[in-house]
Amino acid sequence: MTGNNLEQIKKNLGCSMSRRKFLGCMAAMGVLASIPGSLLRPMDGQAGNGFEQGLEIFRNACPRNCYDTCSIKTFVKDGVIKYIEGAPESTFTDGGLCVKGYAYTRRPYSPDRIKYPMIQDQRGSGNWRRISWDQAMEIIAKKLIEINEKDGSMLGLALAKYSGNFGITNYAVEGMMTSLGYTTRLIGTPCWPAGIDAQNYDLGDMWCNDPEDMANARYLILWGANPAWNSVHSMKYIYAAQERGAKVVCIDPVLTQTAVKADVYWEVETSMDGALALGMARHILDQGLYDRDWVRNNSIGFDEFADYLRNEITVDWAAQKSGIPAEQIKNVAEEFATAKPASIWIGYGLQRHVNGGATVRSVDALVAMTGNVGKSGGGARYGHLRTWGFNYHALLQPRPEGSVGFLGADGPLGDFDFSGDKVDEYSDRPLNMNKTAEEILTTDEPPVRVLWVSCKNPLSQDFDRNKMVEAFKKPELIVSVEQFFTETVELSDIVLPVTTLFEEWTVNASYWHYWLSINEQAIKPMYETKSNTEIAAALSRKMNELKPGSCTYPTEIDPREWMIKEFNQGIYDLFGIDSWQDLKNGPAKAKMHPASWHDLKFGTPSGKYEFKSELCAEHGHQALPKFKEGRKPYDKLRLLTPHTKFGIHSQFVNLDWMEEYNPKPFCYLNPIAAESRGIKDGDQVKVFNKIGEVQLEVKLTDIVPPDVVMMYTAWFRNNPYNCQNLVDDTSSDMGAYKTGAPGVAIHGQFADVVKV
Amino acid sequence: MRKQLGFYIDANRCIGCFTCAMACKNQYHQDIGVIWRQVYDLKTEIYPHRERAFYSLACNHCENPTCSNVCPVKAYYKRETDGVVVHEQEKCIGCGNCIRSCPYGAPRHNPVLRKAEKCSFCWERIDSGLEPACILSCPVDALQLIDLATFEEPNAVQYPPGFPKFTSLNPSVRFRVAQSPTVIRRKRL
Repeated sequence: MTGNNLEQIKKNLGCSMSRRKFLGCMAAMGVLASIPGSLLRPMDGQAGNGFEQGLEIFRNACPRNCYDTCSIKTFVKDGVIKYIEGAPESTFTDGGLCVKGYAYTRRPYSPDRIKYPMIQDQRGSGNWRRISWDQAMEIIAKKLIEINEKDGSMLGLALAKYSGNFGITNYAVEGMMTSLGYTTRLIGTPCWPAGIDAQNYDLGDMWCNDPEDMANARYLILWGANPAWNSVHSMKYIYAAQERGAKVVCIDPVLTQTAVKADVYWEVETSMDGALALGMARHILDQGLYDRDWVRNNSIGFDEFADYLRNEITVDWAAQKSGIPAEQIKNVAEEFATAKPASIWIGYGLQRHVNGGATVRSVDALVAMTGNVGKSGGGARYGHLRTWGFNYHALLQPRPEGSVGFLGADGPLGDFDFSGDKVDEYSDRPLNMNKTAEEILTTDEPPVRVLWVSCKNPLSQDFDRNKMVEAFKKPELIVSVEQFFTETVELSDIVLPVTTLFEEWTVNASYWHYWLSINEQAIKPMYETKSNTEIAAALSRKMNELKPGSCTYPTEIDPREWMIKEFNQGIYDLFGIDSWQDLKNGPAKAKMHPASWHDLKFGTPSGKYEFKSELCAEHGHQALPKFKEGRKPYDKLRLLTPHTKFGIHSQFVNLDWMEEYNPKPFCYLNPIAAESRGIKDGDQVKVFNKIGEVQLEVKLTDIVPPDVVMMYTAWFRNNPYNCQNLVDDTSSDMGAYKTGAPGVAIHGQFADVVKV
Repeated sequence: MRKQLGFYIDANRCIGCFTCAMACKNQYHQDIGVIWRQVYDLKTEIYPHRERAFYSLACNHCENPTCSNVCPVKAYYKRETDGVVVHEQEKCIGCGNCIRSCPYGAPRHNPVLRKAEKCSFCWERIDSGLEPACILSCPVDALQLIDLATFEEPNAVQYPPGFPKFTSLNPSVRFRVAQSPTVIRRKRL
């Protein structure tokens, strides 16, 4: 992103950020007449009795990639959102949202919003022109027909989509691709794949206890997880456990906000969590504190695991590797093994390494050998998709007759792929999402001619941003579906304005808690925005107009009807509801046992917990959860780029309300590291490594160790900051089995810092 | 003692997530630059780790509010029923006396209206039987509504480190201070 582009966009938008200026702008554009005059007016304080008088209440649900998937109550007056709250019916949300959720109303009403389809004269120039939906669809459809005729297939069309909106109806994007033929898909997940595979090898699926059940734990280890920032509603269950006497241990390379709420914090050497887990396991074995009955009845391979521990692992070795004193390791291991039930929350941090999958398997083993798997208050908690049994109506579309595709691909199309095991002659062409730049640059026959980006901001969130900029020069046409002029939109040719959650119908489940929420259309879509379902229909209309039969996606859809089509009896039974309409009264909780694997029937080949997994070995890894080294340092400091509390990936940080509390980025450096570099608090510094650099202000603090520099993922609308300038696309060990592509060693990165 | 509503700020539970602050914006849509509730991180002299302990502060609805005392046009009044200090913006002439006199920085200058404004304790919500937006929003119950007439919490303090001590105002807030965990640093090579 260059400053010139930003300036150009702002000029084109013609708006600055204040509310009153926004109204003035809209009046100038003639838009104001079409929306109620009370837009964004503050409460007038005349409410007296009946504060909610005249307010309609709608149900919404946060569709972002977040543990909490909050259920929202939206208060609307005269067609305008006045304010939102958390749904009190959900014990998880309990009437509240998070800092991001409460900034939500600035999304539909943001003056920065993309209001109508636009085309950019010369990619990256910032010279955007407004076009009609019909014009946009005609340009895209003609291009798709052209590449299909040129290549004899639709493989030149690639989809980059991930977690910007997990609302179920948004699988219309994948459905639209399928309805055009066999296309190219960037598959996998940057987020949690190594751990998903690890849990599948050990347990046969990824399935976590109800987070509300954490309150029942008598010992709790929060390992590479920072719920105080990334799952705020989970914190009250951790506090509840503490108040009932449970000890909470937090293990993290960073003294996170969660860490200071624990009883004990261990500043582990980054990527050495596996050594720590194995050291604890060895001590538990030596002390005879493992659960013999559980292990005998419910697992295979424990003896071999025990032999491995006795032969190759010592507590002193673990202490040396992890930096945690041996006495500490022994104490916590004994406490953990004897407090029953005890639980470990495995965060997505410790698996973002070249040894991430092996690490998660070691932690799983620790929970299993102490007999804590399958118990309320226990469990190796990572995530689950047990409440995602929708119809995937929007996703499952037929291909046009005679479609030609890719030969030889099999396996999953990502962690949220629910298309089943249908075997066709051809398949879509899979490319590794975590190497998007590399894949676009090197893929040929046909190359990626058209790139469609939806629910994703690869320029801000994917790895090796410099390479990504190069990659985005290659396609002949890039279409982005967005709400804001992100860095990805800046390098697109056409942008299609998409609805926010308040403007569309969908349904949302969580990968963490057990609640299900409906998302009603609370306000009419602003400006010319369309939902992903409607965009798919619009493209299909144009494709069929220009070349009948070239797209099987329905040309007329009712978004509400399409939301309803996602429900089935299985969901109603699971959630104890008679109809989707029951969700209008509030979210529902799955009638599931609070303990995952409570029946001790594991999904592994043996049906038992597998300390030794032959499947894992077949996939090229070690059969036992053995220690694996992390990535070798290639620069002076470890670079950590975790999530900020003010955003999720690239979302929310750009909103004006969020800027009030988080106006600019910082990097965090230990005073010891700063002193040797002549850096003082508040200095402008350059963080750099072999792939790129970024300049920002430094904060000196002991929350990071002396060998670490930390900064957060974010996308600011008025600042070119991007931590992905420094993060390369090195793969983690696992992920390919269940998500189609390995994860990324996001925390296996190194850099140095200098004062500028 | 007469009913006096106040905020209980449990800094030991508080995770500094700014949810309360944003919930206030969500409810009142203040103009940009106008903040009624701020989440202040404590200096390392008070809490040893930077940006890891916080006080969420708005108006303290003091027993003896200086804002009200210095206002030349009586744009402030203290409610008899619950002690909430209300600012009536329509009466405000924007002289800034309240802003200058409040040692807690509660009244804020609205550059658009050129008037003062501040936390209302969501008195409209309270009168409708609802909790203030900030309190309802707190995901960890670190911010609570209390009535000082009946509040009995032996560990609560009125003037914790970092919170200015102005006894003549008698601010209607109580705090619980943040604790530190046992921190095991890794051995440096």
